[in-house]
Amino acid sequence: MLLKRIQPMVFQTRRLYVDIMFQVMGRALQAVSEVDETVQNDARALPEGLLFEMMVMPDGPRLIVEHTGNGHFHYHGESAPRPIDLSIQFKHIAHAFLVLSFQEKTAEAFAHDRMLVDGDLSYAVRMTRVLNRLEAFILPKLIAKRAVKEYPDSLHLPEKLISAARIYLKVATNFVETARA
Amino acid sequence: MSQKYYEFFCPVKVIAGKAALEHIPYELTGLAAKRPMIITDKGVRAAGLLDPVIAACEESGLDIVSIYDDVPPDSSTSVVRDIAGIYRQEKCDAIIAVGGGSAIDTGKAVNILVSEGGDDIAKYSGAGVLKHPLKPFFVVPTTAGTGSEVTAVAVITDEKKGVKLAFTSSFLLPNAAIIDPRMTLTLPPHITAATAMDAMTHATEAFTCMAKNPLSDAYATAAVKKVSQSLLDVMDNPKDTNGRLELAQASTMAGIAFSNSMVGLVHSLGHATGAICHLPHGLCMSLYLPYVLEFNLESIREPLGELLLYLEGPEVYSATPASRRAEASISAIRKLRDQLYKRCQLPRTLKETGKVLESQLDHIAEQALDDGSIMFNPKEVTLEDAREILRRAWA
Repeated sequence: MLLKRIQPMVFQTRRLYVDIMFQVMGRALQAVSEVDETVQNDARALPEGLLFEMMVMPDGPRLIVEHTGNGHFHYHGESAPRPIDLSIQFKHIAHAFLVLSFQEKTAEAFAHDRMLVDGDLSYAVRMTRVLNRLEAFILPKLIAKRAVKEYPDSLHLPEKLISAARIYLKVATNFVETARA
Repeated sequence: MSQKYYEFFCPVKVIAGKAALEHIPYELTGLAAKRPMIITDKGVRAAGLLDPVIAACEESGLDIVSIYDDVPPDSSTSVVRDIAGIYRQEKCDAIIAVGGGSAIDTGKAVNILVSEGGDDIAKYSGAGVLKHPLKPFFVVPTTAGTGSEVTAVAVITDEKKGVKLAFTSSFLLPNAAIIDPRMTLTLPPHITAATAMDAMTHATEAFTCMAKNPLSDAYATAAVKKVSQSLLDVMDNPKDTNGRLELAQASTMAGIAFSNSMVGLVHSLGHATGAICHLPHGLCMSLYLPYVLEFNLESIREPLGELLLYLEGPEVYSATPASRRAEASISAIRKLRDQLYKRCQLPRTLKETGKVLESQLDHIAEQALDDGSIMFNPKEVTLEDAREILRRAWA
């Protein structure tokens, strides 16, 4: 009985969590592309103007970023200026929650058929690498190990701390700017 | 590796064994099809492989209304459009693809056009675009390796844009796969070897990569066992009908396994090598398999060790300490490759192919990193890792 009563709240909280995580990730994608050379190198191969979306089917929370060229991303929020080129779609909000709460790695989510790719698969592979790199930077190592297939050996604490600080600062600034606008 | 969730789907009716071709008329009638079209290539026709298919149908009063026998090795959008035109003109109502990967993929793509309408196959590319079942579609494989008869994917080249279009939908799966040993009896030794190693790789990767699941495991292990037990016998005695059937079944079983659990780095490297150096897919698989297994070893020690039972049999498995079984599995695959090299010079290294330049290795590594199958490899792969594997596979 109690479970039935609190279930809508649980669902609402889960949805809110996914929504907030997408907002953070979208801004963090923009930030990491300004901070990290490896990410820039990966993103550089994407066509300029490519619109990438990560969303929950059928019409749930989403994040949209654009490759503005030279390996840099721009976060567009939830609305795209034109049709999306590459979309990674969670089949259900529960699946997005599993990944965004680091209970399931992104690669595992693909292997478990939780997500679909609509668009060029090779670009999706690149974007997954970028997302993994971002998670390795911004999450504590213990949590990052749950989020990515393999925590990069080459990422040492000083580099991680400095990059994470810069990314978080940029994310916070972006949040403030959005709120002001 | 615990598997918390999986999906498995294979609605293809497998019709396998002696006189399997003779079941085609009955199966077509069951789907209310009376005017089938055959899609094949010149090589298949020249080898006389169409004759038993046509005879089987005609004997039952079923006429093959049209035969298209000009499918190229890399089928294109214009070929698909042309065949769809003939299908409509001849008022056909079913497709029988007879051949290897290209003829089968062409059959799948033609089926999209003749079922959905239009002339532009490109607009159906991607995943999940198709929403309705297609026309009756049968596949008769003439190689034992690709497993295309049980996969929901087709790849067609868009020659205008110079890109490969992928089509993914469960509606692409044929209604029936007809596995008849007569169709692979005349395969030349090097193709027999390369395609069987393709099946071996499908099964091995399906069993060791991230999306493995209990159902695909069952198909994968059975496929590994069949290839291990029959390949060398067939190489020594190409007219061994039972051995041929075992290899053909192994290919289908490996196809069912990998289409439900995906493949990994061997395929990423193989796809890149095929695109850059134009090496046959099966050869690439045979070539890279042990090197990638060595790279993945610590992530796949348990399932790879388990494969020893199917590669070498119970005596060797039980005589090998559990801690050494994974390495023994790699040795068994190397041993099999050495035997194939002895029998038909199937290359074991990139250098032995004579078609790859050392200067191309970096390009192959870069392209492999963008391949979709790398996502399912159990171990993360960096550019340097890929380069190192290629260096080992060089000579």
